[in-house]
Amino acid sequence: MKFAIALFAPPHSPAARRALRFAEATLAGGHEIVRLFFYQDGVHSASANSVAAQDELDVAAEWSRFVSANQLDGVVCIAAGLRRGVLDAGEAQRYQRPAANLAAGWELSGLGQLHEAAQQADRLVCFGGH
Amino acid sequence: MATLHLLSHTPFGDSRFSSCLPLLADSDALLLTGDATYALTAGTQPAAELERLPEQVAVFALDEDVQARALSALPARVQLLDYAGFVELTCRYQRVNSWL
Repeated sequence: MKFAIALFAPPHSPAARRALRFAEATLAGGHEIVRLFFYQDGVHSASANSVAAQDELDVAAEWSRFVSANQLDGVVCIAAGLRRGVLDAGEAQRYQRPAANLAAGWELSGLGQLHEAAQQADRLVCFGGH
Repeated sequence: MATLHLLSHTPFGDSRFSSCLPLLADSDALLLTGDATYALTAGTQPAAELERLPEQVAVFALDEDVQARALSALPARVQLLDYAGFVELTCRYQRVNSWL
């Protein structure tokens, strides 16, 4: 089964962890993830600059490791990312911002990537809420 | 076309839960995650509404989220899932509708 997984909630929301655990379980179950898509406040989980408390799960770091280790297509909505300060090197230069902070494994792209993933996948599963 | 409805907000805070229930067809299912599992709290209105759903409607909850909230005396019709079961459930229904 091909899955597209979208995250709408911020990293401190339980939904971000739930999406990660679900994504891990799809691969563990022998399924394929055609794309991960972070949208709205979900883009903060692709920031390399967030710092989790020592006794809390660093969900952004886990996402970055998960995407890189499994060579997944990890897409962050560029419009949602720009307005929240999640920038890659190209966008930081374009808008003359002091730093880029997009974590390894992720790329910025348009909302059309979510639409395309929904077409390619057998299932689109969206995560948000609490 | 059977749909799995995925809830993640508390039923005591907004109208997602009460809006979702009337939409469930007999072949559909409900999965409670996160704060939506508070709908299982014994003696509450949401728990009573779950009991009143047609018996063909399957009701699931994410075990981890139920345990994290120390919920007990769950309605008998509720089936608890781990993440592997969650993935398997999404395969069993043609689409997943997340109440974001």
